[in-house]
Amino acid sequence: MKLICTIVTVFLFLQTAFSQETYTISGTIRDAADGEVLIGVNLYAREQKQGTSTNVYGFYSLTLPKGTHTFSISYVGYHNVVKTIELNGNMTQNFELKDEGKQLEELQVTAKREDENVRSVEMSVNKIEMRTIKKMPALLGEVDVIRSIQFLPGVSSVGEGSSGFNVRGGAIDQNLVLLDEAPVYNSSHLMGFFSIFNPDVVRDVKLIKGGVPAMYGGRISSILDVRMKEGNSKKTEFSGGIGSIFSRFTLESPIVKDKGSFVVALRRSYIDILAKPFLNKDLKGVKFYFYDFTAKANYKINDKNTVYLSGYFGRDLFGADFGFDWGNATTTFRWNHVFNNKLFLNTTVFYSNYDYSLDSDLKNENKEDVFRWNSNILNYSIKPDFTYYLNAKNTITFGGQAILYNFNPGEALVVSGGEGQNIGLHPKKALETALYFGNEQKIGSKVTLNYGLRYSYYDYFGSGAAYTFDETATPGERKALLETKEISGNESIQNYGNLEPRFAVNIGLNSTTSLKIGYNRLAQYIHLLSNTVASSPLDVWTPSTNNIKPQLSDQIAVGVFKNFKSNMFETSVEVYYKTLQNQIDYIRNADLLLNPFVEGDLMYGKGRAYGAEFFAKKNKGDLTGWVSYTLSRTERKVDGLNNNEWFLSRIDKLHNVSVVSMYDISKKWNIGATFTYMTGTPASFPTSKYIWQGIAVPHNYTDERNTYRIPPSHRLDLSATKKNKHALFKKGESEWVFSVYNVYNRRNPFSVYVRQNPDDQSKTEAVRYSVFASILPAITYNFKF
Amino acid sequence: MKKKILVLIGLSIALFGCEDVIDLEVKDGKEQLVVDAWLTDEPKEQTIRLSLSQPYFNQGEPLPALGAEVYVIKHDSTLHRFEDTDNNGSYVYRPRNNRLFLETNRPVALYVKYKGEEYYAVSSLKRVPTIDSLKYQSITLPIAPDDSPKSGFLAQFFAHDFEGEGDTYLIRSYKNDVLRSRSDEYSLVYDAGFSPSSKTDGVLFIQPLRLAINSGLFSDKDKVTVELFSIPLDAYYFLYQVQTETNNGGIFATPSSNIPSNIINRNPESKEKALGMFFVSKVNRFSAVIDANLASED
Repeated sequence: MKLICTIVTVFLFLQTAFSQETYTISGTIRDAADGEVLIGVNLYAREQKQGTSTNVYGFYSLTLPKGTHTFSISYVGYHNVVKTIELNGNMTQNFELKDEGKQLEELQVTAKREDENVRSVEMSVNKIEMRTIKKMPALLGEVDVIRSIQFLPGVSSVGEGSSGFNVRGGAIDQNLVLLDEAPVYNSSHLMGFFSIFNPDVVRDVKLIKGGVPAMYGGRISSILDVRMKEGNSKKTEFSGGIGSIFSRFTLESPIVKDKGSFVVALRRSYIDILAKPFLNKDLKGVKFYFYDFTAKANYKINDKNTVYLSGYFGRDLFGADFGFDWGNATTTFRWNHVFNNKLFLNTTVFYSNYDYSLDSDLKNENKEDVFRWNSNILNYSIKPDFTYYLNAKNTITFGGQAILYNFNPGEALVVSGGEGQNIGLHPKKALETALYFGNEQKIGSKVTLNYGLRYSYYDYFGSGAAYTFDETATPGERKALLETKEISGNESIQNYGNLEPRFAVNIGLNSTTSLKIGYNRLAQYIHLLSNTVASSPLDVWTPSTNNIKPQLSDQIAVGVFKNFKSNMFETSVEVYYKTLQNQIDYIRNADLLLNPFVEGDLMYGKGRAYGAEFFAKKNKGDLTGWVSYTLSRTERKVDGLNNNEWFLSRIDKLHNVSVVSMYDISKKWNIGATFTYMTGTPASFPTSKYIWQGIAVPHNYTDERNTYRIPPSHRLDLSATKKNKHALFKKGESEWVFSVYNVYNRRNPFSVYVRQNPDDQSKTEAVRYSVFASILPAITYNFKF
Repeated sequence: MKKKILVLIGLSIALFGCEDVIDLEVKDGKEQLVVDAWLTDEPKEQTIRLSLSQPYFNQGEPLPALGAEVYVIKHDSTLHRFEDTDNNGSYVYRPRNNRLFLETNRPVALYVKYKGEEYYAVSSLKRVPTIDSLKYQSITLPIAPDDSPKSGFLAQFFAHDFEGEGDTYLIRSYKNDVLRSRSDEYSLVYDAGFSPSSKTDGVLFIQPLRLAINSGLFSDKDKVTVELFSIPLDAYYFLYQVQTETNNGGIFATPSSNIPSNIINRNPESKEKALGMFFVSKVNRFSAVIDANLASED
């Protein structure tokens, strides 16, 4: 640590030692129409050939020699601004950019400066702007962030309808899904059919698959950073839509013009309401819906202080007299503080909760037989993030985070025949803390470095019970409990510390080409216990304990980025190699729910993932979109499985092809098409069967895992959007979106399994299970006034 | 209540999904000895079936394992020979004088000699509760299930688990003397609940288990028979995994894995491994004929 600090200091010194008298210009850049801050706007001082870009709060800072400078401010989809400024002292200069009118009608694939993909040191990063996501064909017409990112290179899922997503061979719990900096533990509604993000309030989506900067930590595969809109600070605006699944309503308004604004948005599924008249009295009480409520407010106290409050509350409910419901709730408070032209602070305080509950008898009519069960994961966190714009060559980030976790792995009440008892598992508590330091440094005009170090420290503490298991048990068998130690108070049970170095370099090969290399180590202290193909809402998060060690990953990625035809086309090729440690697997018959000794049913192994990602995107013109191809391999090695040899992980996808295209036919009409092809998931099938009491029991003589693959999946989706001049009452604007999912009606296999024929038990057969087995057309109406 | 769970879950899964039978090419495994030895203590003919495993998609009857020596050895070291008199792989023993074949809480062993290899397995006879009663109520479902009337009777049996943790049982049932024989039609019981974590020692079997004897609805004059077997813990896990591995479809399938057998080759060096399970049960039965006039209303 000391060594690194010394090296950094020397570097910084070398960079600044010989510079002349300098001043700093800083400020915020916003959209002139609705006052939303703009992320990633490029600000360039022409004479000095120095540039910077705005951070996620729209803030920029650039230090330049005293004198007159010509600044050009450019942002895709907006008019360029050129302004001459005399810099005689430190100064604050805010800008408002006007969007390009017609240009806005055209598709702008990304919200960033045009050649950012080549110039920036960021690699393995994909951003999709909401305008693009909204034009992509969507399942049942419901615009979906999580489904859309699955068209990006390196991203896949175990199958249609499964929740979450997999990045470069990582499990779904290895993605840090952030909604305005608060983690979301289950990003799906209705198992995995729809994501919880209301598209009307999402402003910016960024997926980081590698070269993760030091400010992020806590998950080992990716960061999905979703930023919410701030709300129109110029005028009140009402927008919404009526789709086949959800109805959406959003209200945005200034609190005080140009000072603050808010946005509130509500979505609710309404199949149950539509179905109500058709249900007879037995089913009248049926509940089957999901909703989410998203709200955000911001207020600019003065030039130096801005505060934000955002919240999300979403739930799925399913039931009649019995009930099953689950959902996330997050609240984030943020305070942006500009100390001076060079030092920017954002402090985030958040609360996040994911919980579910089951109740056999909501109306409490039968007191003789009851089953009630709930589980949750609750956390509180504080996270100060500083950015210090040291000089034009160095931007330093530093800060920390503390997260207090409270896990309730399960609490249940079981009553049978009037007798019953509470089954309570000990709550589990943990504190995760981290400190980090990072610097983005330009060396000459060709090389940019981003290096940093994160130190994370984790403490698993009482009160509770610490279990010791017989680790000498045969791998793959249940480990016997040896000792239970009751822990009182807040006594520490186990702690872990990890140094997580991060490094990235961009070497400009010429004005349109760059080579990037990135390395990161990431540590993850919490784990989702799930032994099913797709994760279910009942899966339980568990902390690292004296038995469960933190997961670690090391990844190195190398990429070449090149743009053509003045940034009309951007292309990249990246290769990556990733190793994973302390990966959880499960013994057969593992009992993961309400089991106090669940750690005895877990196995630990390692993983490796490697691949190549090819990406080509067209940014401008009437036709836009991208083609991506990923060739990859993901493997696991766990003692007790597959004869202790490496085997393909169930998320392995050898080939993954995506084509996304959008075409503006006229001002009125645009169309979108997406195509995807994925290798089938690996599967294990029996070599033999034997008959036991008339049951045909499958058996694999070689005891190998995942040596087969189910057939590949491919699918074409189409959409067409017709813009109307007005919405209702001849005001505002509106559009019709027509979409068709699975155009050529392919039955893509989710899984293939074997069974005895239910009607003729002497026969055994293989069955292909498809989640969507038909063409799914949909119409959505969106409006805004 | 139960019916609503079934209807709802059915609706949500059937929304868009579908299942098609397809052809699948898989490697064949080597033939292995299969021991199907589930005995009770009842004073009646007891049968152990020995057969050979076969390729998974081979639709023929399994080949019998002929010419084996099969003994059951009781705790008092008495040997009982099971003989394949019909030469079809069914090795049979008939207890004399109508005496109970086994004794509760006593260990019992199986010995099989086949093609020069010697195998053994050990089990123990556990206690079984008595089924107190069987009730039925008339109900009408909103939607008629497959192979079942829309209106009919839902049956429920009542039995209490013994005091003391760790009793394991199997429930199965008959409709008009026809066994519900599919692997998803029997139910496993740990104390009075599903599994060790349900903490239901010593109480009435929980409601979902009491109702597990129905497939669809019963009609008036139908005969309902419930069988409750005591099973040892290893049999509970064996049968649990049989249910998992033979009903492992859908989006919440678990990774398939081989089911361990308790049949052990006496020579640990031998490559010949047997499949299947040996265990012993006490059984309690209860039968009733549905009488519409006596049924309680929903």
